[in-house]
Amino acid sequence: MSLETEINFTLNGRPVTVRVPVAMKTLTMLREVLGLTGTKYACGEGECGACTVKVDGRTLNSCLMHAVDCDGRELVTIEGLKSPAGMNPTQKAFVDHGAVQCGFCMPGMIIQADYLTDDDPQLTREQAQRGLEGNLCRCTGYTKVLDAVEAAVEAKRCGR
Amino acid sequence: MDQKVTAPTIEKKTLIGQRVKKPDAPDKAIGKTRYINDMVLPQMLIGKVLFAGRPHARIVSIDTAAAERLPGVHAVLTGKDAAGLRFGFVRDNAALKDKVRCEHDEIAAVAAESEEIARQAIGLIEVVYEDLPGVFTPEDGAREDAPQIHDNFPGNKSLYFEFSHGEVAAAEADSDFVVDNVFRPHHVTHCCMGTSCAIADFDHNGKLTIWTQTQYPYNYKMDLAPALGLQPGDIRVIQPPVGGAFGSKLDVYPYEPIAALLAKRTGRPVKVIYSREEEFKASPTRQPAIIHMRTGCTRDGTLTFRTADVLLDNGAYTSWGPTIPVIMMRTVSGHYRVPVVDFKAQAIYTNNPYAGSFRGYGNVQTTWATAQQMDMLADMVDMEPLAFHLKNSQVSGEITPQKSFLRECVLVECLETAAGASDYSRKRKEYAAARAEPGRYKKGIGLASSIHNAGGAKIHKSDGIGTILKVDDYARVTVITGASEIGQGIDAVITLIVAEELGVPLEHVLIVNNDSDIAPWDVGVHASRTTFIAGNGTRRAARKAKAQILAAAEKMLGEPADTLELRGGSVVRDACGTPLIKLDRLLRQMHFQAEPELVMVTDYYEPKSEPEGAKHVSDHSAAYSHAVHVAEITVDTLTGEITVDKITMAQDVGRVINRMGLEAQIEGGLAIGLGYALSENMLLDRGLLKNPCFRDYKLLTAPEMPPLDLHFIESDCAEGPYGAKGISELPTIVIAPAIANALYNATGVRVFDPPMSPEKVARAIDAQRQAAGG
Amino acid sequence: MQEIKSYLAPRSLDEAVKAMAAGDVTVFCGGTDLTPQTDSGAKRYGATLMNIRRIEGLSGIAEAGDSIRIGAATTVTEVRRDPLIARAAPILAEAAEHFASDQIRNAASLGGNICNASPAGDMINPLLVLDAAVELASWADGALRTRSVPLENFFTGPRRHVKRPDELLTAIVFRKPATDFVGWFRKSGPRPALEISTVSVGIGGNLSDGVFRNVRVAMGSVAPTPLRAHGVEAALEGRPLDADSIRAAVAAADADATPIDDVRASAWYRKHLVKVFTEEVLNHVLGN
Ligand SMILES: Cc1cc2nc3c(=O)[nH]c(=O)nc-3n(C[C@H](O)[C@H](O)[C@H](O)COP(=O)(O)OP(=O)(O)OC[C@H]3O[C@@H](n4cnc5c(N)ncnc54)[C@H](O)[C@@H]3O)c2cc1C
Ligand code: FES
Ligand code: FES
Repeated sequence: MSLETEINFTLNGRPVTVRVPVAMKTLTMLREVLGLTGTKYACGEGECGACTVKVDGRTLNSCLMHAVDCDGRELVTIEGLKSPAGMNPTQKAFVDHGAVQCGFCMPGMIIQADYLTDDDPQLTREQAQRGLEGNLCRCTGYTKVLDAVEAAVEAKRCGR
Repeated sequence: MDQKVTAPTIEKKTLIGQRVKKPDAPDKAIGKTRYINDMVLPQMLIGKVLFAGRPHARIVSIDTAAAERLPGVHAVLTGKDAAGLRFGFVRDNAALKDKVRCEHDEIAAVAAESEEIARQAIGLIEVVYEDLPGVFTPEDGAREDAPQIHDNFPGNKSLYFEFSHGEVAAAEADSDFVVDNVFRPHHVTHCCMGTSCAIADFDHNGKLTIWTQTQYPYNYKMDLAPALGLQPGDIRVIQPPVGGAFGSKLDVYPYEPIAALLAKRTGRPVKVIYSREEEFKASPTRQPAIIHMRTGCTRDGTLTFRTADVLLDNGAYTSWGPTIPVIMMRTVSGHYRVPVVDFKAQAIYTNNPYAGSFRGYGNVQTTWATAQQMDMLADMVDMEPLAFHLKNSQVSGEITPQKSFLRECVLVECLETAAGASDYSRKRKEYAAARAEPGRYKKGIGLASSIHNAGGAKIHKSDGIGTILKVDDYARVTVITGASEIGQGIDAVITLIVAEELGVPLEHVLIVNNDSDIAPWDVGVHASRTTFIAGNGTRRAARKAKAQILAAAEKMLGEPADTLELRGGSVVRDACGTPLIKLDRLLRQMHFQAEPELVMVTDYYEPKSEPEGAKHVSDHSAAYSHAVHVAEITVDTLTGEITVDKITMAQDVGRVINRMGLEAQIEGGLAIGLGYALSENMLLDRGLLKNPCFRDYKLLTAPEMPPLDLHFIESDCAEGPYGAKGISELPTIVIAPAIANALYNATGVRVFDPPMSPEKVARAIDAQRQAAGG
Repeated sequence: MQEIKSYLAPRSLDEAVKAMAAGDVTVFCGGTDLTPQTDSGAKRYGATLMNIRRIEGLSGIAEAGDSIRIGAATTVTEVRRDPLIARAAPILAEAAEHFASDQIRNAASLGGNICNASPAGDMINPLLVLDAAVELASWADGALRTRSVPLENFFTGPRRHVKRPDELLTAIVFRKPATDFVGWFRKSGPRPALEISTVSVGIGGNLSDGVFRNVRVAMGSVAPTPLRAHGVEAALEGRPLDADSIRAAVAAADADATPIDDVRASAWYRKHLVKVFTEEVLNHVLGN
């Protein structure tokens, strides 16, 4: 069968060693090899953002990223945002502001929103709109998503 | 009683109109929700479909030998395995085909141990086709010499509908102005973020369990059974969480019986899941139409008649799409007071993809026409459009020619609110005057409205719902209901109503609505009906439980039941809020007393609406509602790009139940309507889809969503739960013509065939310049 | 079947080009072009898959004398946020601003954008305006060889270029524009960025005393390759920037552009936009 290689990386704060086919994408590795089904497939072409994960602090479309490229890097998926203390402020803001409908886009949307609000503590609504351009949602029309991002900025500022 | 004298009183607090969080949201936000797309069963095989990839052909031969020999392949099926198993609205469809009638026709299917093997096996199937001349527009399909698509539908004729009321010729003679246009609403598709998926498994006795995304589990059994040669009773439907539906899951589509046929053949669970490209090609579309509409009015602005001659591009098979005339005609006859009406709609088979139902079902297409003609007529009469709309608005108590009874009608309030809040009349005049002035960017404002059923639609024999409700010894409430949750938020509404009626915390309400072996009958999530119908069902069941609980409390406490209430998890004196006994304690006492009783109630609610009927003269919904949208836009007259600056909306919602859920549904519905208006378009070239990807099929993105000013008008519907009406389709229906009217206001250009894409607008403006000689 | 026989993630340039000299290597950087192309079958993997992200020195933006050097693996996000680029070559930052989405920008490399050689490549356009050159490295006769090719001469046809399969693009280099340089980039579409350009126009030159010199004009998606619009340049070169020269430039844009119809736009619309954008950009420059 196809060539496999062993890679080591940090996944949601824990070290992982896994063998993957070299042409496999990170999304497939997460969902099918590691059983982390929070990250979603919705296009496989980088257009929808449902597969967004954080790699070394920046967000990427995991459907485009070769799994082998995870070697030595630090990944955070939607499953890794929550702490034992509960939801992270971005997740909580999304729930509280009614931003979740069918929820299928949400793992990617929330990871991206979390990245944006970490990256720029002064993030404005307009900047959030731009920052979420790569995350398609068919249910919400983004209005409540943007409300939630504004609330997350505020919550992070207050250190909650 | 042994309660403490100092126990604080419990105030009466209503949840109706509050902002309640969706109970399913936290698990979705942390990535824990297991969608059907995520499901894996032990021993599960992956099913894959071979699509024809050509629009019209005879299948000369199929050779599956190589695919069958591939290690890891467990079954290969072709048309002969589905022979005689016809399904669909007019039984014109089959899971696997014996002839190719559209690009995505399912020719063969395999079940294999992995996606990879299944894909390889598909590649090994050899099919010899003999291409046939195709039909790609309904006009061509209706020609006498047109190629025939189905042997048993001569002339390519699919469904036909008509309704007429009054004498058109006489009304036309009385008209001072008549507008006459042809509108061409186009092919768009649902684009659920979760792609289509089904998992099927048979037990030893031949009973099928199917995990599906369906939004109508009970009729689904009936529709799926003939595709498999089963009895509906032999099918158990399980509905895991889904990534959107929007009407696309209101019918059976071939991948579902394919999964079942493969499961039957292999004796193992089989999952079929689409890639995005397959989703674009093989899922239903919104029904495209060619609408020849004429509307007349007198010099004083009174509407005299409206006619619509509609040709529907049926596509290759008949799903729910070509039944949209049932709703189209309600708008033609009921959008404003129209005394004389003539409506005809013929669906013609073509070799294009076929339509299903899609949020806004028929009314998106019709309102695109009616609302633009209202704008045109106002200008012809030279009336200020708001006044023209108001002059023809219905009021409470009116009955339309089709006998839709507008019991609580607040169209006038909706018009005044939306126009007032946006300063519509002043801006419209100002922008029209500025049209001729130089300048690249032009502002425009447009108003549109529509009417839609808001209390279900009795197009089936029943529009009802069954509810089972139990309250356990710990005062946890379980509601077992047929109402499906597809992301729209019905679970939040049910939770809220139970908490309101039984005074329990929201978190103590559990909903079971995902298993047809457990939950009772419901028609399905469609026609903006679920809050209305399931809301009523839940409230009735909760009230029955409450009556039983308070009767027991009366016996135990010695205070009359009608002076007691359930609040804050206790039985209280209604007048002063003094708690008398904790609810869970009372329930245990009821359970463990000498004459034990459990609280378990059932309810069947059937709304007071009349069956649609063959003549289409009936009060087919238990309520009707209106919405008015005002769109403010800026047009770049050189690039043709339209920027939507603001949307003001007033809608009759009956009564706000869950404010957050209501806003969410309206906002989401608007976004789908905006995409329809501005960018979404399935580019078909002789039946072949040229843009099966998000790169070239453009959904609205976050930066394109305009600010919204939403106004909810509460008409207090007598039949609705707490006065509520169904709400979620109107936002999708009304916005496109509001933008079209704004485009006209800004530029003098009218677009009859959506979407109003930059190129189309730029061409129209360019043509206008050329015509003006400069 | 795509049969990959080895996977490499070299740390040094030497290692990388040695492997490429051995033949049939598929290089990936961000993978944002390669993945959709291999998934759809439009392109197949070679025997060796090579990740170039780990090569030391392949990314980063630095001043080198009077030039700016951008490593091939530098991402669009890095360009968009870089203070040096913002100061010295804002036209490049502007194009980065209107490139795809945040997630794609975080992955997409400049080298990938150039090697993909799409006529719609958005980073190529301003780099043509900046008269950039690309550095190509290879291994021959036991030594690392490099050559420099002006970007203008790099593209030979649709998705084709002069880079040999054994060559790695290592950097993009351009002279720091003079203080009187003005440059503007315009891309079509109602979406701010996530849009394959229907048309893009970049114009730059030295503007002093109202006269435009060293004018370079680039156009995207109007020809088989990213295009230097020499006709437009000639219409503007050495002339005062005014209504007359702008009119001449617009007429020349119409002649320079030879677009086709496709799913995104018709040839008519592309030509129309090229003229609109040429006029718009020049008016903007004039206004400044
Ligand atoms: C959703 C989406 C949106 C996009 N939007 C835009 C857009 O707005 N504008 C735009 O211009 N592009 C866009 N793209 C295309 C793409 O992102 C860019 O072209 C990107 O710059 C490619 O860089 P990469 O590092 O991902 O390339 P890769 O995919 O890694 O490589 C691309 C090609 O170049 C070769 N290659 C890469 N680096 C080198 C090197 N250093 N030497 C030799 N060969 C090399 C690879 O072998 C491959 O053939 C979009 C893509 C997607 C998926
Ligand atoms: S699945 Fe990766 S962007 Fe859509
Ligand atoms: S919540 Fe359904 S797609 Fe975003």
